[in-house]
Amino acid sequence: MTEVVVLTTAMLSFISFWRAAAIVLCDMASTAWYIGGIVETAIGPAAPWMIIAVLLCAAPVLALYVEASGMFVRGGVYKVVRESMGGTLAKISVSALMFDYVLTGAISSVSAGQYLAGLVNTAFPRLHIHWSVDPKSFSVVFALAVILYFWRQNVRGIEESSDKAVKIMSLVTVMGAVVFAWSAYTVWIRGLRWPPHALHFTKESLGWLAPLSGTAGLAKLGLLIAFGHAFLGMSGLETLAQVYREMEAPKLPNLKRAALLIFFYALILTGTVSVLAVGLIPDAVRAGYSDNLLSGLAMSMAGPHALKLVLQAFVVVVGVVILSGAVNTSIMGANGVLNRLAEDGIFVDWFRGLHPRYGTTNRMINLFVLLQVATVILCRGDVYLLGEAYAFGVIWSFVFKAAAVFVLRFKDKSKREWKVPLNLTVGGVEWPIGLALIFLLLLAVGVVNLATKKVATVSGVAFTAAFFALFSVSERLNRRAHAKDEEHREKFNLRRAEDLRIAGERIQRPTRVLVAVRDPNNLYHLNKALEGHDSETQDLVVFTSRIRKGLALVDETVQMDSDEQKLFTKVIEAAEKHGKTVTPMLVVSNEPFYAISQAAQAVGASEVVFGVSAKLSTDAQLERLAMTWGSLQTDKQPVRFRILGPGVEHAVDL
Amino acid sequence: MSWFQKKATGSDEPAKSGPAPRAAKGIKISTLLAQEAVLFPAEGRDKGAVLEELVAAVCRRAGAADPAPFLAKVLEREQGISTTLDTGLSLPHARMDGIDGVLAGMAVLKTPIPDPNQADVQIRVVFLFFSPNRQEAFPVHLQILRGISSLFQPALIDQLTAASGPSAALELIRKVEA
Repeated sequence: MTEVVVLTTAMLSFISFWRAAAIVLCDMASTAWYIGGIVETAIGPAAPWMIIAVLLCAAPVLALYVEASGMFVRGGVYKVVRESMGGTLAKISVSALMFDYVLTGAISSVSAGQYLAGLVNTAFPRLHIHWSVDPKSFSVVFALAVILYFWRQNVRGIEESSDKAVKIMSLVTVMGAVVFAWSAYTVWIRGLRWPPHALHFTKESLGWLAPLSGTAGLAKLGLLIAFGHAFLGMSGLETLAQVYREMEAPKLPNLKRAALLIFFYALILTGTVSVLAVGLIPDAVRAGYSDNLLSGLAMSMAGPHALKLVLQAFVVVVGVVILSGAVNTSIMGANGVLNRLAEDGIFVDWFRGLHPRYGTTNRMINLFVLLQVATVILCRGDVYLLGEAYAFGVIWSFVFKAAAVFVLRFKDKSKREWKVPLNLTVGGVEWPIGLALIFLLLLAVGVVNLATKKVATVSGVAFTAAFFALFSVSERLNRRAHAKDEEHREKFNLRRAEDLRIAGERIQRPTRVLVAVRDPNNLYHLNKALEGHDSETQDLVVFTSRIRKGLALVDETVQMDSDEQKLFTKVIEAAEKHGKTVTPMLVVSNEPFYAISQAAQAVGASEVVFGVSAKLSTDAQLERLAMTWGSLQTDKQPVRFRILGPGVEHAVDL
Repeated sequence: MSWFQKKATGSDEPAKSGPAPRAAKGIKISTLLAQEAVLFPAEGRDKGAVLEELVAAVCRRAGAADPAPFLAKVLEREQGISTTLDTGLSLPHARMDGIDGVLAGMAVLKTPIPDPNQADVQIRVVFLFFSPNRQEAFPVHLQILRGISSLFQPALIDQLTAASGPSAALELIRKVEA
């Protein structure tokens, strides 16, 4: 007698490197639409050079993320800082990061609204429509609509939203090609005025350092101050660490590919349009386009006015789409970060509950989206205000992360899958010079930003303190509730069925492999099976049986016990580490070998993999399996039984 | 492979036996049996007594003088994971040193007997076999286990328990296997 429970969770399918890159770029490349205006307001027309400098610096920061992700599949700044420097600093760093995520959604959606309002106000008079919109009010309403749309998408699951990210980036690429080609034509006709190198700070952009204006000391800090004002160009990188968990095999090579793609794409798109905006838009006109600089670029091209309007409409539509995509990325990234916190016992259990239909952590998404909505309402459509507050979380989370990875080099000597270059070995000790330089640069920018970006410092510190307090209190409450059980357990949705036919619904590939698991500390065979597994052509069903006798078998409820939860948590972690899709299944039965044979035959497995048992000899395992397999076999399909363990590999065909 | 590493410990005279292990893939189970080794034990016997009678018959047919080591080996195996299936088929088996082929026998129980290790399972047919304790023979051993389990489905077991004697029982098996 068997009863089947199929496990579902949101994180069992994996995405390609270009999907992962598209998710990150939806945030990072979207800054192209507003970074030029914000940075020029702060440091003058030399802004494009600083933007390019920041984008070039994304390379070492991406390298930092590749090294850290190679160490922790469920990584990100929280995990890395906690492993390296403890829970308190980890909570501070992640609180700062949450501030960045909240602002990413707010600034992107409000900026999209500004672009749309700009287009409406430009196009309507030409269409003899005597109606205009207030850009700030319009952008708030539009921003709220976008945030709510992506809130719904994220509640429905990552695969769907990564698909949207790819479509968005395809559209952006087409727009980039059109803008570059048209700009080349314009430069050919009119020539290009290169942005100047001189920095012009305003009193506002010097913040608390304004009284030192004109002194030699401040002049020395000029580059760092300017660099700090352009640092928002690096927003979104943390999301790379969050999506690494869902990246398909081979994981680290794919992460490197994604990092390279992100780096070059952002550098070419954001860097080039920033230079073109200053080079092609006349100075007198540019100030009027500070909130929608790319619209100004479109309207400053050579060509008939009507065609330029069409280009502006295209730029605005694509801008609205990618900026909206950035909202999506911020929700996904924040959800990933909050999940890592929850796994570590920071959140009370209620927050980790899964959506009954989609299997997503919808309560965390709800909390985060509420904060974004509140920020949009409070900023009242002011992009520059949001831009000033922005980057506090980015820079400080990077500082903490760089420090953590640096410390880990000494604290954890295990072999790295990949290391940030520039490592010097002296006297048998490896000195991570590259990591040290990255940390020092980031720290310098962070400290200077504290002094110059008043809005960011005040709001960032307040927000970080509030989130830190929330995390600390929540963690304390959670510890009281789970004093004896500190180990992370994945949450699963369970679907019950009367027989094993349900398994077939989820199995579609031509080759099926069933891996029987029982002991969470004995998953060697699962890892070996995952190593050789091809998710494109094979389905891998990971199976365990809950053995019950008599009435207990009939009365079984669809609840996982603690051991089963622990077992499948390890299974999911193994699948994530390899980047391979698995179908977990739990069967309630009165006999384990019958359960395995029935399950294997129900899914049409051509291979059944076991671990070495602590209780039974491999011979006895195989004998019992051969018997139960034969008694249940309804066709003559051959099957291969494999028993895998450290130094043990048996295979037999039946 | 662990089962390939086992070494033969005895040096008994090889007993006469059934088909060679290498030929056993796709083997017909009926060819393992001979009429002398198909029993219809009397009522009231328990599984131990049935096994003793069956081992004696198998050894007699194979020309093995002493059934004791065979019985000891199969009883040792019976101490391990169950050899009885829900269908009512009991499949005691052992891998023996000193034999070069498969030795098999069958007991059909007109009145089912309870399985000593699973009180809720009633044994209706006992199929006993020995295979050579050699590494290359283990896959064949498993094939035989799978083949017997597959062949002895409830319908055949019903027919066997209604059969008039060994000859009729063998004929039924051949017919189902054909």
